[in-house]
Amino acid sequence: MTPTKSKRSRRERTSAEWVTFGISLFVLAVVVALIGVQALAGEDPPAPVVRREGEIRRENGKWFVPVTLKNHGDATAENVQVTASLTKGDDVVEADQSVDFLSGGETEELEFVFDEDPEEGELEVRVAGYQLP
Amino acid sequence: MAGSTATADSQGWRAELADVGRAVAGGMLFGVPLLYTMEVWWIGSFSEPLRTLAALALSFIPVYLLVRISGFRNESDEGVLDGIMDTVETVALGIATAAVMLVVLRELSATTPPAEALGKIVYEATPFSIGIALAQAFLRKGRGGDGEAKGRGDLEATMADVGATLVGAMFVAFNIAPTDEIPMLSAVMGPYWLLVVMAASLVISYVVVFEAGFSNEEQRHSQTGVLQHPITETVASYLIALLAALAMLWFFQRLGGLPWDATLEQVVVLGLPAAVGGAAGRLAI
Repeated sequence: MTPTKSKRSRRERTSAEWVTFGISLFVLAVVVALIGVQALAGEDPPAPVVRREGEIRRENGKWFVPVTLKNHGDATAENVQVTASLTKGDDVVEADQSVDFLSGGETEELEFVFDEDPEEGELEVRVAGYQLP
Repeated sequence: MAGSTATADSQGWRAELADVGRAVAGGMLFGVPLLYTMEVWWIGSFSEPLRTLAALALSFIPVYLLVRISGFRNESDEGVLDGIMDTVETVALGIATAAVMLVVLRELSATTPPAEALGKIVYEATPFSIGIALAQAFLRKGRGGDGEAKGRGDLEATMADVGATLVGAMFVAFNIAPTDEIPMLSAVMGPYWLLVVMAASLVISYVVVFEAGFSNEEQRHSQTGVLQHPITETVASYLIALLAALAMLWFFQRLGGLPWDATLEQVVVLGLPAAVGGAAGRLAI
């Protein structure tokens, strides 16, 4: 390696550097304060709840049922299993899917697909379980 | 921000803008890979507030050390206070850069819950801060320490090697530590393969520093210092790489609830890239 010019040694900080430092200190203080507020507020366990929401669509002979999954708790739920079961007389058709990751307060939109019209039977959607990270 | 149009740059706005620009560039070089690693978003969102705070506080240590070696400014720091002030700026710039990039990639939006947003920003900001602290070394030819290599005492030479190994290990392994590949690879190891991985780590690390004919190799052979015999240096550096691997796995919360043998497997698996990085780091100084 050829000898290269080394860094200048420090002189007095310029006003521009003081402004950078001031803003930096402010940013850090805000972040620390926000985390502190959350630490004091405590954390509710995860509470994922699924609801039927929106219009059922029919396309190519299939029915698409939109549902909304929301975690009402503060903590994250992993691998959330959502099942939908359609009961028509004695027939029960089940569909399920899993959501990898649902943090506190987060909402996910899902769709279930059925071969029969869900409005002719009884449709139930529920969260079957989840994993704590 | 730089509203002043002083022609002579008397207040240092232009120089400051160049410094901050260099900082952001350095942060990007190191931070971008982890921005594209979903495990880090997840860790950020489920991390408890106190743990997040501890991670933020902990990131000051490597950043401070790197700021003393490199930093993002075109000037060297004279004292501890200067170093601390630059560390505050480095971490804050890391947080700002990471936050902007998370918004650009739509990992942060108006609907992101605040706890998740903060966690993501803090965990993603750490690699950015490290990159910013190394910006001067990345992006300029001149480095403060270059002229000082000669005439160092044994202790100083040893400390320089330890530092270089740590920086190199972090440089390579930090982007790998949070990924699911580490537990996946560890799961199929078993004790004998673990020994094979350890042997491979040692051999690769030795070859990189002493046999491959990279630059500085001759200098490495001739250096004095406690760690300077090739075999002792390789083994001691490997231990440092393993410690660095353990620290990184802890930082990314990969060790929760693991029994000691599974922890050891993951440390050894991550130890290989850490050892390669550490070897490259020692060549670079």
